[in-house]
Amino acid sequence: MSTPTLYISRDSSLHRAHPLSKLALIGLAIVAGATLPDPLWILAVYALFLIPLALAGGVLRNFLRSSLLLIWPFALSLFLIQGFFAPGQQILLQIGPLTLKLEGLLLAADYTARILVWLSAVVLLMLITRPDHLMLALTQRGLPDQIGYIILTALQIIPRFQMRAETILDSQRARGLETEGNLLQRLRALIPLAAPLILSSILELDERAIALEARGFTHAGKRTSLAQLHDTSSQVALRWFLLIVILALIAGRIAGWSLP
Amino acid sequence: MIKLENFTFTYPEEKDSALSDLSFEVPTGQFWGLIGPNGAGKSTLCYALSGMIPHYFRGTLSGEISVAGIDVPRSSLGEMTGQVGLVFQNPFNQISGSRFTIRGEVALGLENLGVPRSEIEERVHETLEHAGLAELGERSPFALSGGQQQRLAIASILVMRPRVLILDEPTSQLDPVGTHEVFTLLDELVGQENTTILIAEHKLERLADFADNILVLNHGRIAANGAPSSVLTDPLIEAIGVQPTRYTQAARAAKERNLIEMDKELPVTLSDARGYFRETAV
Repeated sequence: MSTPTLYISRDSSLHRAHPLSKLALIGLAIVAGATLPDPLWILAVYALFLIPLALAGGVLRNFLRSSLLLIWPFALSLFLIQGFFAPGQQILLQIGPLTLKLEGLLLAADYTARILVWLSAVVLLMLITRPDHLMLALTQRGLPDQIGYIILTALQIIPRFQMRAETILDSQRARGLETEGNLLQRLRALIPLAAPLILSSILELDERAIALEARGFTHAGKRTSLAQLHDTSSQVALRWFLLIVILALIAGRIAGWSLP
Repeated sequence: MIKLENFTFTYPEEKDSALSDLSFEVPTGQFWGLIGPNGAGKSTLCYALSGMIPHYFRGTLSGEISVAGIDVPRSSLGEMTGQVGLVFQNPFNQISGSRFTIRGEVALGLENLGVPRSEIEERVHETLEHAGLAELGERSPFALSGGQQQRLAIASILVMRPRVLILDEPTSQLDPVGTHEVFTLLDELVGQENTTILIAEHKLERLADFADNILVLNHGRIAANGAPSSVLTDPLIEAIGVQPTRYTQAARAAKERNLIEMDKELPVTLSDARGYFRETAV
């Protein structure tokens, strides 16, 4: 495991932008995904805003792959559940007692488009922003250091868990546990994995806490930072502009707008 | 630099003391090894010397303990941070997880203490050079080998320029190459920075090579304390369950089988053993 985050280092102007500017861009996409009334408008946010941003950041391929990988389980379950179980009049297909309805499919399309924009926006932020720089920007704006630390370590917890799980699985395979095969066999293999995985993580908490104490984590007083974030007046202006758009979207939603 | 007088510590809900009536003194700039069987109290002593006892792990204590001139029970962990460093077994658990480069990881302690950025830069650069990690500064801390990760853990403490460094079995999860890297770094520290080091360690061959003095704990009490050549050849350490160095074992076995003539002091290091067998072989 070389890098435990999604971040991809590129020499793009988007990468060099202040983390708060990137956060504002992504925030705009997320708010648009929540407030715009029509799924086509929401898909336009994906196609005409997020994709060009990913292209500008030189991470388009990773962006598309990650967003498609993330969205299909949601899309599948939403179209099945909403299509068959949402109330509606226009029946498209009848399979025994189940009826596939147009209204349900449209509802599923609406939810899927919103989830696609939300998940992709977060993925894009992670692809183009170093998490430690993002947290530094936020703690410099008043986020408590402890909260910043928790968020940063949470970002790295999944790869750490994966490594630990692989070690435990390897040792259990060595003792004859079947971990390959069909879905049921794989699920069965998860049961003996869960307890050691959770227990060992809890047991190491003391060591982690001591290691942090030894490095002045609870030291009172002002902290400094090795990393320097570059901000410009044009970026500050951009952030204010994005904030106004975000507020306008929220206001439009509250006002119950209707777009063509 | 480290001074204990009749120091006793008992964990809560425990009947027996984890450390009993310990008295010893480590002079400035010395490299001490701490050995003993499992459960002897080595880790507890490391925690007491670094202030984690009584400030993190509670319990009852009596006697005196001072490290780097700080009266441990009567001061705070904050006062000890930067003066006394602690490194322990698993290098992976010592990586904060909140920094994404090795430079950032080493800088964390100084950032927490509010050291100015220009000074952090200078000290991080110097420490990475010292730890042999300068080339890897922009890599992820997770992309290192075990030995490199432990050197990173040590560097992260060293950057705070502690006067005393306590290490609790720092090489137990490392291969011979990683172990050698760590001991070489520690040896340089003593030589160049006059840092006082106390290291709990099972690899006696390494201690025999590097340590000025060996302290043996058993059931929380001092079982022996002295120069490696005398302590590591004392039959007592084997009696309490600590395997002597392979050189001592080989010499003792040769002696028992009458393969050697002289009644010479048993060797503890490879170079001792070379001389020993050359002089004594029948």
